[in-house]
Amino acid sequence: MILAGGRVDELNVLTYYRPKSAVPFGGFCRVIDFSLSNLMNSGIEQVAILSQYRNYSLINHIGTGAAWDMIGRYRHVSILPPFTASEGGEWYRGSADAIFKNLDFVQYHEPEDILILSGDHIYRMEYQDMIAYHHEKNADLTIAFTRVPQNDAHRFGVAAIDDEDGARGGRIEGYWEKPMDPESDWVSLTVFCFKPDVLYRALEENQSSQSFEFGRDIIPLLLRQNCRIYGYKFCGYWGYTRTVEEYWQSNMDLLGEKPRIDLEQWGIRTNLEHRGIRDFQPALVGDEAFIENSMIYNGCIIEGMVKNSILFPGVQVGKGAVVENSVLFFDNVIGCNCRLNKVVADVNSTYGEGTVIGPEPGGPLPKVSVIGWNNQIPDQTIIEEGATIYPNLKNGAWLRHVKAGEVLR
Amino acid sequence: MIRKKEVLVLLLAGGVGSRLNILVQNRAKPAVPFAGLYRIIDFSLSNVMNSGLTKVGVLTQYKPLSLMNHLGTGEAWDFTGRSRGVKILPPRTGSRDSDWYKGTADAVRRNIDFIEANPTDEVLILSGDHIYHMDFDAMIEYHRSKKADVTIGMMVVPKNQIHQFGAGITDRFNRIIGWEEKPKEPKSNLASMGIYVLDRKYLLNALARNKDDVDFGMHIVPWAIDNDNVFAYPFYGYWRDVGTIQAYWEANMDVLRRDSGISPQKWRIRTNVEVEGGAADRAPARFGNKARVVNSMISAGCNIKGRVENSVLSPGVVVEEGAVVNNSILFTDCHIGRNATIDLAILDKKVSVGEQAVVGAGENFKLANLLKPTHLYTGITLIGKGAQVPAEQTIGRNCVINSYIREEAYPEKVMEDGVSLFPDGEMT
Repeated sequence: MILAGGRVDELNVLTYYRPKSAVPFGGFCRVIDFSLSNLMNSGIEQVAILSQYRNYSLINHIGTGAAWDMIGRYRHVSILPPFTASEGGEWYRGSADAIFKNLDFVQYHEPEDILILSGDHIYRMEYQDMIAYHHEKNADLTIAFTRVPQNDAHRFGVAAIDDEDGARGGRIEGYWEKPMDPESDWVSLTVFCFKPDVLYRALEENQSSQSFEFGRDIIPLLLRQNCRIYGYKFCGYWGYTRTVEEYWQSNMDLLGEKPRIDLEQWGIRTNLEHRGIRDFQPALVGDEAFIENSMIYNGCIIEGMVKNSILFPGVQVGKGAVVENSVLFFDNVIGCNCRLNKVVADVNSTYGEGTVIGPEPGGPLPKVSVIGWNNQIPDQTIIEEGATIYPNLKNGAWLRHVKAGEVLR
Repeated sequence: MIRKKEVLVLLLAGGVGSRLNILVQNRAKPAVPFAGLYRIIDFSLSNVMNSGLTKVGVLTQYKPLSLMNHLGTGEAWDFTGRSRGVKILPPRTGSRDSDWYKGTADAVRRNIDFIEANPTDEVLILSGDHIYHMDFDAMIEYHRSKKADVTIGMMVVPKNQIHQFGAGITDRFNRIIGWEEKPKEPKSNLASMGIYVLDRKYLLNALARNKDDVDFGMHIVPWAIDNDNVFAYPFYGYWRDVGTIQAYWEANMDVLRRDSGISPQKWRIRTNVEVEGGAADRAPARFGNKARVVNSMISAGCNIKGRVENSVLSPGVVVEEGAVVNNSILFTDCHIGRNATIDLAILDKKVSVGEQAVVGAGENFKLANLLKPTHLYTGITLIGKGAQVPAEQTIGRNCVINSYIREEAYPEKVMEDGVSLFPDGEMT
């Protein structure tokens, strides 16, 4: 069961029209491809996705599930949106409520184990190892944890894990959701493996409460009942990407000689039907182009300079243009002599000739500027660092000069 | 029942294309890769799809496995659905054993049951060998408006090339009144593209007339011109028969030039990315810190750390640091070692070139390949599928390294211009 409903306010205009799980990542795919590919590579192919925020993009992306080999007699991926019932019906009130409302779907499949995970994170994990640990411990619930810097731990679910199995994991002695003063630096990846009966009972009991979240409500409830809850320690790369800066950084982790995220080694698949990216021809690199430390997908046409950047299918960079430290989503057209430094650009915008975003390259890295989708930026526009441009701006809404940190609506 | 006018498409994809040398050692000509992601047949198939035609038979003969894999279900060209489909028609013997197709008309005649099983108003016959973009729907409309029995796609070519084609002479209504097949001294510069629209009944009658009429250009068309209504459908635009190594290389280089008139993406050419080694599952191309890429086509899954200039790279090609690739075509998953040089060469799939090796050395472009002087005579060197080139090996111009040759097979560190190397180490 993949939780893919969240918008994540901090990602701002990138999640204006899509849930976080459907945000493009890595030059051709979407954030949720990491969870789906992990499931495929772990041989888990009965999958449901719970989604309620603007899920058109997500539904489009999942398609038939064939991209992850989740189509066949015993393999499937289903999207489960909220629904109305004979008496009322309502939105999902939280992650636990979302699963509860679909318990009939879950029980119909008579699962031996239930894996619940977030579709919002960038990581490569072999879930079968975690499930094996879960069985070995005869656990009621096993949760994956990873280590973060202590001063960052307050943003996550934090657990005290005993030393039962050293580096592999141990029994959870305490759990705190987003504590002010974290007592541990082991934080939850939002990957849960449940014994089905334990999950069914906990969700049922949770219904009489006012809050319906796994971290805040279900884990503490089971701890109070002395259930066997184990922490499975995960040491690989984990990209949380809940702010635009973090999202930008995770993209940069794809670059370099030995990238921290290796899409091919991780076996990441995406749906090439989505936006028709399978139909793009190979990237064309022109006579005066210069490309360094970058990733570029099919369908790009590069006539200018591209450094430390990630270009999604169909991006064009005109002559004399310089794109540095940037992530440009599908089908952006960068006009001649533009200069972009540390920009995250949503799909389908045109950048008029001579547009400048961010400071001259070479200095310290600026704050990231975010450009919403479907904009036509007028020639010679200047946008200072850290600015936010809303999607679909009317022509009259444009300023010649957008100041640092300004939000243009 | 509603019945709209329909056209059955027969795509002749059996050609050996032997002048493509080792590129057709393991595959038929239509299955030869082109422009990084595509195969030659994708152009014909996509033209069929973009013309709204939905019933296709692909006639195979020579080494069809690669082609059949590529076609798959036909889903890539939207040929799956209740009233649409692409069928592979393998060769069948006639009354005697082991007689292969004797020509284009013979091939169609032996698949006459397919035509009878799919009754349509007209039949469109074309070959899967050419690089072009054409609206067959417009051609069919033209055929109907002219009330023609046969309509032939034709274009103007330079006089010195006409000897490779069927040449037609037309009146002012585009009616063909004279025909010469591969003329030595042509009277016209209007060449047949091997694309025919025929009324179905007319086709069946023409095929029944004389079993010795085995070729459209040689027999069926001249007879029809003398007796019935045959029209030329004029085509203007990019069209290449990439049947020689030189033409194949030039057409690939044309894709790099904006003004050449060829653009697979604008032409809406579709390919099957799902087959093994295809573009699916490839990450975006990576460009390293010291990469320098100019005027080239780079497919997904490539990893470029060296220099690439005027070249076309299929998915998964790795160019290591210090390596230089110039004026070359590299198929899927080639690996070019550190400081190696590739100049004016075509490398089939999974070729591995060792460090410091030079493929295409020296300036003697004119000494043709000794074994096949008509195949390689402009300096292009060919390396076959899965072959290895040892570190520090030098290979000259117009050379051929056959498929799957191992490092140990090279008898010496320098291979002279025009030489071919075989798996047993024999050099000719």
